[in-house]
Amino acid sequence: MRRKLMRTAAAVTALAFLLVLTGCSGVSGDSETESIRLMVWSPSEDQSEDSGAWLQTCCENFAALHPEWDITFVYGVADEATAADSVAQDPEASADVFMYANDTITTLTDAQALAKFGGIYEEEIRATTSDTLLDSVTVDGYLYGVPYTTNTWFLYYDASVFTEEDVQSLDAMLEKGVVSFPFTNSWYLPAFYIGNGCTLFGDGTQEELGVDFGGENAVEVTNYLIDLLANSNFVVDADGSGMAGLRDGSISAIFSGSWDYGSVKEILGDNLGAAALPTFELNGETKQMYAYAGSKAIGVNAHSEYMVAAVELAVYLGSAECQLLHYQLRSVIPCNTDLLEQEDIQNDPVVIAQNNTFDYTSILQPFVSAMGNCWTPVENMGKSIRNGTTTHDNAEEQTVAMNEAMNSNGIS
Amino acid sequence: MSSKEKKIESAKARRTRTNVIVHIILAVLAAIWVFPVFWVIMTSFRAEKGSYVSTFFPKSLTLDNYIKLFTDTTVLNFPKMFLNTLIIAVCSCLLATFFVLSASFCLSRLKFRLRKPYMNMAMILGLFPGFMSMVAVYFILKAVGLTEGSLIRLALILCYSGGSALGFQISKGFFDTIPHEIDEAAMLDGCTKWQIFTKMVLPLSKPIVVYTALTSFISPWVDFIFAKVICRANSDQYTVAIGLWKMLEKEYIDNWYTCFAAGAVIISIPIAALFLKMQKYYVNGMTGAVKG
Repeated sequence: MRRKLMRTAAAVTALAFLLVLTGCSGVSGDSETESIRLMVWSPSEDQSEDSGAWLQTCCENFAALHPEWDITFVYGVADEATAADSVAQDPEASADVFMYANDTITTLTDAQALAKFGGIYEEEIRATTSDTLLDSVTVDGYLYGVPYTTNTWFLYYDASVFTEEDVQSLDAMLEKGVVSFPFTNSWYLPAFYIGNGCTLFGDGTQEELGVDFGGENAVEVTNYLIDLLANSNFVVDADGSGMAGLRDGSISAIFSGSWDYGSVKEILGDNLGAAALPTFELNGETKQMYAYAGSKAIGVNAHSEYMVAAVELAVYLGSAECQLLHYQLRSVIPCNTDLLEQEDIQNDPVVIAQNNTFDYTSILQPFVSAMGNCWTPVENMGKSIRNGTTTHDNAEEQTVAMNEAMNSNGIS
Repeated sequence: MSSKEKKIESAKARRTRTNVIVHIILAVLAAIWVFPVFWVIMTSFRAEKGSYVSTFFPKSLTLDNYIKLFTDTTVLNFPKMFLNTLIIAVCSCLLATFFVLSASFCLSRLKFRLRKPYMNMAMILGLFPGFMSMVAVYFILKAVGLTEGSLIRLALILCYSGGSALGFQISKGFFDTIPHEIDEAAMLDGCTKWQIFTKMVLPLSKPIVVYTALTSFISPWVDFIFAKVICRANSDQYTVAIGLWKMLEKEYIDNWYTCFAAGAVIISIPIAALFLKMQKYYVNGMTGAVKG
């Protein structure tokens, strides 16, 4: 009985060791061409056969351009918004090349997971990318990625209801049709506050300056928002109600981003209009709405075993050629300055809307870590105005409270 | 009519009235309880797209959501996720049930020195949420080489079944109620401990076996957090929980919302089937109890 038990125990231990051993990979040796293994992560649409398998196509083209390497590609799925979490969890076992949204850049740099671009690679990226975009992936003067698209929100409208003239001004739009705005979403609501001169962390990088959302100008905006909500042509967009309204015709304009292009196109067809953010009338003055803007970029893992190949691949995936293919296959809006001069791209209303928003009616979304405290207070402000808890009587008090909350991490 | 009769009648009437009120309250509560489930089922058949609706009942019904869920596999491969989850859940269910029942039997029937300390330790460990050790578990699995490719399934099975023996309390309590005289009689007839366990105790404990099997099937079936941490970017290893979560991301929600509801309905089927199948034994086990 006991012997049997011992034998079983030995077998189990042996099995465990075997598992450990299988964890180690086989040895590869070659003479002229170096065999390398590159792991690449992207959103699943980039790998989907239905939308043209952008990633696989580009990677195969890359391999053909570099006969000196015999590359085995390993593909993984991680969308830009959440890739940073997966990479930061364990940089060593993460992709060599991955895509991330620039607001997660500090998560990645804190985990020391991002390689810096320098030398000829940096020059190549700088030559075809706008400065604002480069700023969005620069931390302490170092470039940490190859931006391949901008990431912001803009206006979709029904061109049979509004003219191009109308969409310049929110007030003109509200006179002619129903407009829906994600009032309780803190990625959108600050547009009005920033429009009236409120600032976040100085120029966006000066964490010590804090948030200025509590002055007289902020109170004016709060009062404006209370009146805006009372307008019968203004509808709060929450939980997809804006899109549903667009679909049944009760709403004629929504604020969203390129990810909703497919749905909006399906609903509006030829009447689809897209534009940068409109202005709004505040106490007789015309103010511009400003969106948060960011970028999506291709990053290289600082722990990559084949650094040269990984950096080359990242630069290639962010090149004009791949951006064009990305645009053709998946309508990912390019940001390469040479590409933006091409005629067919210049005629696309969504490209114009997104790029105009990025260039003229947005601020770079700060990615200092204190920015994390700024989301909930603004969301609560939107909700309290909608619920009627914030009124003209206590607007000042509520605005100051919001500002305090945005400047506090809730602990100290 | 005497006053006595009247009194009786009024008592009867009062009882009827109370019953009516109680039943109305119960009916309302039942309706409220069923409401969300019903809504999910309705949404899964909804033909209108999008995540927001202004009417409770769909304007038109369709099976397309289910069809899309199983045919549109290039972006979110639901059939694959379903299969992954099923494999993981079935394996962990078998393993965990065996572990829990064995541990319970040992603690109920065998007397050994560390029995009490073990039970205390298990009690205290059980007070901590399992995902506290998540990151450590990930790195251990990585060191063993189980975090890549199809070995992830094995990793998840190990995760879900490995710690299950700590949850022995309920079945141990049940085994304690089975008289020791039965064991002694069996031992006199030459049974080993293993035979007592499999031939005597288990057949007498069908309800608790069923209960253990059900709970150990459901926890891997619905788990999200371990699967998310261990699968990371390996989309071919995703479980349904991750898949359903993905469907609600901002890029997918407008197209996939109704499919999400369809997915939610589909994942409830194996649990319901398992319960219905096992319910038979559950009832049998209860009625066939041995008189001590």
